[in-house]
Amino acid sequence: MLEITGLSAGYEGNDVIQDASFRVDSGEAVMIIGSNGAGKTTLFRSVVGLLAPSLGAVRYEGTDITGVPAQRIVRRGISFVPAERRLFPRMTVRENLALGAYPGRPDPKTMELVMDLFPRLAERQRQRAGTMSGGEQQMLAVGRALMADPSLIVLDEPTTGLAPKLAADAYEALGALRDRGLTVLVAEQQVPLAMALCDRGYVLDNGRISTQGTSAELANDPDVRRAYLGIT
Amino acid sequence: MIANILDGIIFGIQLGLWAAGLTLIYGLGGVLNLAHGQIAVISAMVLAFAMDAGLPALPASGLALLVGGLVGLFLDLTILRPVYRLQGEARVLLSLLLTLGFAFIVDGFLNWRYPGRALSLFIGGGAIDILGVPMRRGSLLASAITLVAFAALFSFFRFTTLGRAVRSVIEDEEGARLVGIDPARIMRLILVLSGVLAALVAVTRSMVVSVDVQAGFGITVLALIVTVVGGLGSVSGALLAGIILGIVNVIAADVIGTFMSLVVLLLAAAVTILIRPAGLLGVEE
Repeated sequence: MLEITGLSAGYEGNDVIQDASFRVDSGEAVMIIGSNGAGKTTLFRSVVGLLAPSLGAVRYEGTDITGVPAQRIVRRGISFVPAERRLFPRMTVRENLALGAYPGRPDPKTMELVMDLFPRLAERQRQRAGTMSGGEQQMLAVGRALMADPSLIVLDEPTTGLAPKLAADAYEALGALRDRGLTVLVAEQQVPLAMALCDRGYVLDNGRISTQGTSAELANDPDVRRAYLGIT
Repeated sequence: MIANILDGIIFGIQLGLWAAGLTLIYGLGGVLNLAHGQIAVISAMVLAFAMDAGLPALPASGLALLVGGLVGLFLDLTILRPVYRLQGEARVLLSLLLTLGFAFIVDGFLNWRYPGRALSLFIGGGAIDILGVPMRRGSLLASAITLVAFAALFSFFRFTTLGRAVRSVIEDEEGARLVGIDPARIMRLILVLSGVLAALVAVTRSMVVSVDVQAGFGITVLALIVTVVGGLGSVSGALLAGIILGIVNVIAADVIGTFMSLVVLLLAAAVTILIRPAGLLGVEE
């Protein structure tokens, strides 16, 4: 479904990501794990069209989408939820969600799905996004991404700034989405949560993909255990 | 006193309209359009010549609005292109320089070809009493048209998908791109809208006083002051600041003298920036 080959990307000529290749198949949940500053955000930004890669290719459902700007990529079925969420703070929850379906009108069925998934949002439809708590804003960011009715949802550290309980809730919602057939690609530092959700994963280390495998394989990898699971 | 305040409100509603187009462009893309007043003057001249050629006032005004929108589109397609490639402060500065250059060219050309040419739309009929103060029909009609324009603007931003898309780009450009909104297309739309609003300034202003070929920079300067006080990117802030400054202006002119009123307005703007850097209804970054 999504295939990244030999991707290099960065800012002002300095490639943060070097020669990264990975793939996500339809219906899978795939994680990119790595420590702070490993380049997860840069990698995702160049996949979803917020940053033009300097080398390499991004293919989606057989089509080359390298360098296609973000506003067009979302219409092809890839929704991105950045770590900073990028909500519209002075607009209401409902307005944020409605814009997720831009340029169309929000589909009532999708809206219902989002409200079922996040009952908090249903209660707070008229509240301004900027006045909500971090956990609620994360729900809204995911909800807004779902309104575009994507086939693939890409999330950059969805647990950023969330208390452990809320982080677990966020992953529970992602599990529910995967069970509905949505393909999930997630970058995460909180590796145990991501491992419980994902089938496979890649380890991003200093801008390069160093290891890959199924979640079980990664959980047994000595380097991964030491660096990301706190087990020696 | 009541007469002063009424005059101030009427002038202030106008000021708000002058600033509305300017504040939208700035809020949307960090572009400062110093040719805003010249768009109004171009539209005023189109209207004047169209009426000279025998076109009735209403279709001639429609033509002026169309031309204003086209000038906005022209700016977007030509001199603003290099501006869009820059970010942040450099973008503001280049837009300021290039639109100022365009404004000088327009001013120079119009002063050379049509020196002293002015537009005034005469609205007949006697004065109407409001709170015991006789008001000219032209002023009242201009205010009514302007208020309708503001109502239309507010409804557009609040109730239409496209209007919400414009707001979303002002609030978070990257977030807007992530839901599929192309900021460049929204910017083009707003430049056209801003041109139409500048043309509407010419139409309504000429119902009150004559708008001559040299009026451009005066309009731009006042619009800038109102924009700063109201908050960059806020149309409701422009209307509020316009009304407040309109009242301040009329009272200052009455108490100190017309020659000082612009200084008083600048002082009011400076004080606003000191107390609230983001303006009355602007949002702190």
